[in-house]
Amino acid sequence: MLEVNDIVTAYGKIEALKGVDLAVSQGQVTCLLGPNGAGKTTLMMTIAGILRPKRGSIRFNGQDIAGKPARMIVEQGIVLVPENRLVFRDMTVEENLMAGAFSRSDGKTVQSDLEAMYERFPHLQERSTQYAGTLSGGEQQMLAISRALMARPRLLLMDEPSLGLAPLIVEDIFRIIRELNDEGMTVFVVEQNARMALQVADHFYLIEQGKVVFDGTPGEMEEDEVIKRAYLGKKI
Amino acid sequence: MVDFVQNTLDGFFIGSSYALLAIGFTLIFGVMRRLNLSYGPSIMLGVFAGTMIYIQLEAGLVFVACATVLGAVLAGIYVERICFWAVGRGAVLASMVSSFAIWMQLEELVTIFFPERTYAFPPLGDFSLEFGPFFIRGAHLVMFLCAAVLTVLLHLLLYKTRFGLALRAVSENPLAAKFMGINTGLVVFSAFALASAIGGVAGFLIASADQQITPLFGLWATFKGLIAMTLGGMGSIPGAIAGGLLLGIIEAQSTWYLGAEYRDLVAYFVLFAFLVFRPGGLFGQRLATQNRLSMQRV
Repeated sequence: MLEVNDIVTAYGKIEALKGVDLAVSQGQVTCLLGPNGAGKTTLMMTIAGILRPKRGSIRFNGQDIAGKPARMIVEQGIVLVPENRLVFRDMTVEENLMAGAFSRSDGKTVQSDLEAMYERFPHLQERSTQYAGTLSGGEQQMLAISRALMARPRLLLMDEPSLGLAPLIVEDIFRIIRELNDEGMTVFVVEQNARMALQVADHFYLIEQGKVVFDGTPGEMEEDEVIKRAYLGKKI
Repeated sequence: MVDFVQNTLDGFFIGSSYALLAIGFTLIFGVMRRLNLSYGPSIMLGVFAGTMIYIQLEAGLVFVACATVLGAVLAGIYVERICFWAVGRGAVLASMVSSFAIWMQLEELVTIFFPERTYAFPPLGDFSLEFGPFFIRGAHLVMFLCAAVLTVLLHLLLYKTRFGLALRAVSENPLAAKFMGINTGLVVFSAFALASAIGGVAGFLIASADQQITPLFGLWATFKGLIAMTLGGMGSIPGAIAGGLLLGIIEAQSTWYLGAEYRDLVAYFVLFAFLVFRPGGLFGQRLATQNRLSMQRV
């Protein structure tokens, strides 16, 4: 569904991505692991059209989308749940969700999607007229996810959805990822919490210093000595 | 006591036009986090467009108003393209300096084509009202009513329309707005045009209350708008309204009690006191803190 080929993205002269190749298959949860500064967020930003790659191609259902502006990529059906959530703090929960649907022009179905979102996240309905800045971290993450879903994505990108959240809430988020995937959503998630990711992901990539250094299934990952030590701890 | 109330009334009515200037300033600052010093001069250009068709074609008030607003919008768009679109994103200082350069350019341009010191501007509301001991100029009343209607319309635009949602999203977090598929460049451009239109209305109201116009109007409008915005809190629309009214009242009181020559001095003193003791202004404390934190991160 998504094929990233030899992508190089640079900040000035410093190359954060040095030729990344990876693929996300339709209907799967693909997980990208890697230490801080490896280029995970840079890759997400490049796919989402915020950063322009210097080289390489990104194909989405056969079309090259590398370097296209962000709004075109959203219209194509790739929507990012950004790192640190970035909800609109001074807007109400409902306004945040409506902002998520900005790229759509079908007013009636937006309304029914809004109701569907409230059904999935009852907490948000209770707080629909509250400012998003008053929500807890976990609620803000739920809002960020549902805001992205309001755009009706075909591919959902998530950048460290568990960052800074309590373990119980992290479980919740992974339950939601699994639910969405069961409903047919393709998900590409950046995650530091490899142990949690193992429960949902169909495929793993490990990125280090701007390059993919491992590519495999959960089973293969658990057998890899290096990953086992660095990302999963000794237990497994 | 009667004097004090009368001054407050006068200040309040004049302050409503400062509030409009500050709203325009704050809209631009809100979506870009950059200061547009050319805001006043682009309004000045609009006012001269108005005065030109008034003098040369003896056009009616409505046409003069339209020409003023249109002139301000075109000049505003010119400023946006030169200072904020062409000058790279993130170059905060460069765009401020270039907006200063464009200010000088616009002022030169007007003095070349309008070499006299002052030009006539058609009057608005040549009547006055009296309530017991109090006195209200008709022009001021019209000024206040127009400002109030415009503020209500702006509120509806910002909170009831898709464009308003996009504008608020871009003001709060441009990156997140991009993730929503919002065309941030277009929103900034439109906000600029909108702010210039509001400034044009303010310019028209002020010029027709004064019944005359000079090329120094640009400097004057930038100062008034900037001070009112800072008093109220940068980036906050309620703040811009409160700051404008406050500035008007401060000016009216100090003119009465200290004399006209102290009017601006007092206004600058209050501005300075705010910057030292309450840099976020009346309504923008949180935004000021956010900005400070984001600077620390850099």
